[in-house]
Formats: sequence, structure tokens, C-alpha cells
Amino acid sequence: MASAEQASEQAQPVALPQILPPFRRLARHNLPLLLILPSLLLAIAIIFYPFFVIVRLSLSNVSPFGQLRGFVGWANYAGVLADPIFWGALWRTLVWTAMVVGGTALVSMPVALVLQQEFYGRAIARTIIMLPWALSLAMAGILWAWSFNANYGMINGILQNLGLISGPIQWMARADTAFPVEIGIGILVSIPFTTTIFQGGLSSMPTEIYEAARIDGASASQQFRYLTLPLLKPFIQIAIVLNVIYVFNSFPLIWVMTQGGPDNSTHILVTYAYQLAFSLGRPGPAAAISVLMLAIVLAFTMLYLRMQRETP
Amino acid sequence: MKRKLRRSIVCWLVLLPLIVLVLFPYAVMVSTALKPTSEVMSYPPRWLPRHWSFASFPAMWVQAHFGTAIVNSVVISCSSVLLALFIAIPAAYAVGRLEFRLKPPYRLFLLVTQMLAPVLLILGLFRMAAAIPFGDGSLVNTRLGVILIYGAFQIAFSVLMLSAYFAAIPRDIEEAAWMDGCGRIRAVWHMFLPLAVPAIAVCALVAFVAGWNEYIVALTMLRDRDKQTVTLQVVNLVAGRYSVEWNQVMAATLVATLPVAVVFASLQRFLVRGLMLGAVK
Repeated sequence: MASAEQASEQAQPVALPQILPPFRRLARHNLPLLLILPSLLLAIAIIFYPFFVIVRLSLSNVSPFGQLRGFVGWANYAGVLADPIFWGALWRTLVWTAMVVGGTALVSMPVALVLQQEFYGRAIARTIIMLPWALSLAMAGILWAWSFNANYGMINGILQNLGLISGPIQWMARADTAFPVEIGIGILVSIPFTTTIFQGGLSSMPTEIYEAARIDGASASQQFRYLTLPLLKPFIQIAIVLNVIYVFNSFPLIWVMTQGGPDNSTHILVTYAYQLAFSLGRPGPAAAISVLMLAIVLAFTMLYLRMQRETP
Repeated sequence: MKRKLRRSIVCWLVLLPLIVLVLFPYAVMVSTALKPTSEVMSYPPRWLPRHWSFASFPAMWVQAHFGTAIVNSVVISCSSVLLALFIAIPAAYAVGRLEFRLKPPYRLFLLVTQMLAPVLLILGLFRMAAAIPFGDGSLVNTRLGVILIYGAFQIAFSVLMLSAYFAAIPRDIEEAAWMDGCGRIRAVWHMFLPLAVPAIAVCALVAFVAGWNEYIVALTMLRDRDKQTVTLQVVNLVAGRYSVEWNQVMAATLVATLPVAVVFASLQRFLVRGLMLGAVK
């Protein structure tokens, strides 16, 4: 290390140390800190400062145009807790997150197991299954909204041709169909990421133990139940926690497809908070919901960090 | 050989439903984009148009201000990539190569930052942008504001991903350069960075796609049509309209997504590896 520093002194242009001796001393002793400093500053300015702006908003009386009109304590929070649409959105957020994350894990597991096999065309299959990753959620929302269009959409067309329905179904205009459709699409777009994590786990597994199990006469399902699943557990946990955070935050699908409607029946917390803030002119309650969401995300982040420490 | 063939058939059969679902929207997109307006509005819909028509492409180009939108998307995505790389590369070098006492808390800081999506902070971001004077007004409704936000939100992911790659580049090469009397900065510039180019390229591409596909920040910040990105313009063809020209919308979606999908598919292996390194490490 000492020789390296001497070497770096020789190679420096002469002017720099004379002009900036304090900077140079700082650079030599705190090089890592200087290197990470810009990233800290930008992240604090653009990520942590808005966080405090939101907390302050949530404790203030805010006019529809955004002026602060004094401190009101917990009034915004109390208002939110008294709002039935908030409770509906909260409940739907739980359903949305649980169904999408759970459904994604259930579909991704067999897909990852199959992609781990050697078969003809595996590279093509893998590429196709990864494809939704390249599609923005907003575009996916548009494509599926058109596919589920009641009058001219392809889904109704196919069902009609198969004789499964007698007339067009108003998928996105009905409360009992719009949200399940969105959950299904949420699952579809979360599969690439989850499958990739599972595949990472599967490919890190020692092959010898499978051979040993086969010699001992374990069936394929026994191998899965007693070898694959326990060994994959840390990967499943990480996939689930990360997906909980991503899906909880997922805004564009629902916003593009239904904007929370019909009659607030597809709002989750992010879409409702956005509507309150930017369409309904109620930034105070929107900020209160944002603070609640941030608390939930941070709690799951802590869970994720603890898991990371436990996985070798 | 025969066993592999049988296994291949079983594997494809198991994957088939998912593959159909993944390809379905793309098929709908192409099918609708090539129909004339009269055929789009007929029930039940057909997959193949009776009369092939490319008229929806020039029509949407005008409707969605597509030329301007592409320029905006390219400018915003490229600038935010440059900003993120400029800030993330030194930090990733420190995390991947150097030992320092603040490394564990810094990594924690990155992991927490990565989980805070713009949508959670959008209200605060908007108010902050509105409070910063720029030109005649504020940072709201400027491409610069969006670039700064995209860049900042890419940093945590970029540092985590690049540092994982950087740590894998052999140290000897750099140390050999020091022995030859090369300064640390020159050693990094001439020996280390050339080896890191593939990793940086993957990182840049991931950040570019993220910027290209981003919706909520663009929706909130960019009010004027001549500043809006492709993603936003395409959604605007649908959102809040009484009558939607679906063939134009699908033509616009096709032009906006196909380049990204092709790049992603051809570089899939590298991209997926990079995405995982940044997301799960």
C-alpha cells in the first residue's frame, strides 16, 4: 500500500498539490469517502429530502393548490383513518400483494425447474419467458386493456369463438372482474424476475446429493420435497420479500388500466394516494398515506436485510 | 437422443400456457396495428386483417408527437444514464476495491435507497422540483428535473451491480501497473476501466431501459406535450379519452417497445445477470 501511494505521488501533475494541498491530503487519507460522497449527496438531496417534505406535509394543513397553512398534528392521519375508500384501498393492497406475490411464486417454481432441464430450444424458451421484463408496465397495461376491451377486444373474441360466452363481458368496467384481471397481469409481469432468482438458487445446488438420493431410490417428487425445496428456501424468501416491496409499489398497471375505478373498486394505496394528491387536490391526506406506505416498505426492507445477513 | 426429444416435448408442453400468455399481447399489438380503423371496430375481432394497412403508423406519429417524444426519451434516458454512471462508477470502485470503515453502513444506505421507489416519494419530489427555480419557472415541467430524478434513483442499483462486477476483476493487473510507476488514477484509467467496460455497458443499458420505460415521474413532472417521453405520449393516446383509435395506439406501442424488446432478447443473458447482481446482492 505504501509503495502504491509513493507511486501515485510521482505520477501526479505537479500543479495540483501546490494549488490544493488540503484537498490532496484529504484525497490521500479519505479516498473511499471522496469516491462515495457524490452518490451520498445526490441520494440525500433527491431521495431523503423529499421524504422529509412528505412527513411535513402530512402534519400540515395543505390547501388544494399546495400552500402550507400551519401545523395540524395528526389531523390528516385521522382524516385518512376515517375515510372508507382508504380502508378499501388498504384491504385491496393486502389482497393485491398477497395474490400477486403468492401466484408469482407458485408459477415461477415449476417454470424455473423446467428451465433447469436440458431440452431442445431451451434458450428460446428462456428468452420468451424473460420478455415481459423489457416491457414497461404502462405499455403492458395498455396492451392488456385493449385485449380485455369489451366490444372489440381479443379476449372476448376468443371466448366467443370457443362458445364459452354468449355476449361481450365488460371486464374492466365491472368491479368483480377488473381487479382479478389486474392481479393476473401483475403475476405475469413478475414471473421473469422471480424465475431468475429461483434459477440462480437451483444452479447453485450440488448435483452429488441428487445422485446420492437417486441411488437411494428417492422419487422425483421426494427429491423436490426433501432436497430442492429446503435448499431453495433462502432464495424463495428473498424473492418473496423483494416482490412484496415491488408489487406493493406497483403503480402503472392499475393506473393505466382502470385509474382505481370503476367506483374506487381497484384502488390500491399507491394509486389512491396519487389520485388524492394530483387529481383530487388533497395533498395533506395523500402525504399521510405516503408516510404509512413508506413505513410499511421500510419494515419489509429491514426484513430483507436480516435475511441477507442470514444467507451465507 | 430419443430421451432428450421426449423430455423436450414435455418441457415445452409445461411452458406452453405461459409462453402463450407472454406472446399474446405482442400478437394483439401487431394484429391491431396493421388493421384499418373500420376493421378494428368489428366484433368478434379477427387475428389477421382483411385489408392490411400501415396507415396507423403515420397517423400515430402525428397524434403522439412521436418524433419529439423519441428525442425527449433519448435525451432524458441518455443523460440520466451518464449522470448515474458518473456518480456510481467511483462509488462502485470504492465499494468493490477498497476497504474503509464506513463501507457496511454505506451498503446499508444503498439497500434502503433501492427500496424507495419514486412512486412513494412522488409528492415530495414534485414539491421539491416546484421549489427549485430554473429558467422562467421551476424544475417542474423540465427535462432536467426528470433527468436528475432518474439519475438519483438509478444510483443505488448501479453501485451495487458495478461493485459486484468490479470485485471480480483481478487486482494483480492494477497492482502491476502501480509497480511500473503508474499513478493510481492512471492505473484505474488505463488498466481497470477497459476491463470494466462490459459491466459498465450492461449497467448503462439497464439504466437506459429503466428511463425509457418509466411512467410515474414523467407523468407528474412533464406537462407540456413537447417535453413528454414516448411512454407518456403513448399512454396519453388512451388515458382520459372518450374515443380511442386503438390501431394507432397499438402502432405506437409497437414502435415504442419493439426496439427495447429486441435489444433485451439479444443481450438477455448479460442483462439478466446484471439485473440480478444489482437487485439481490
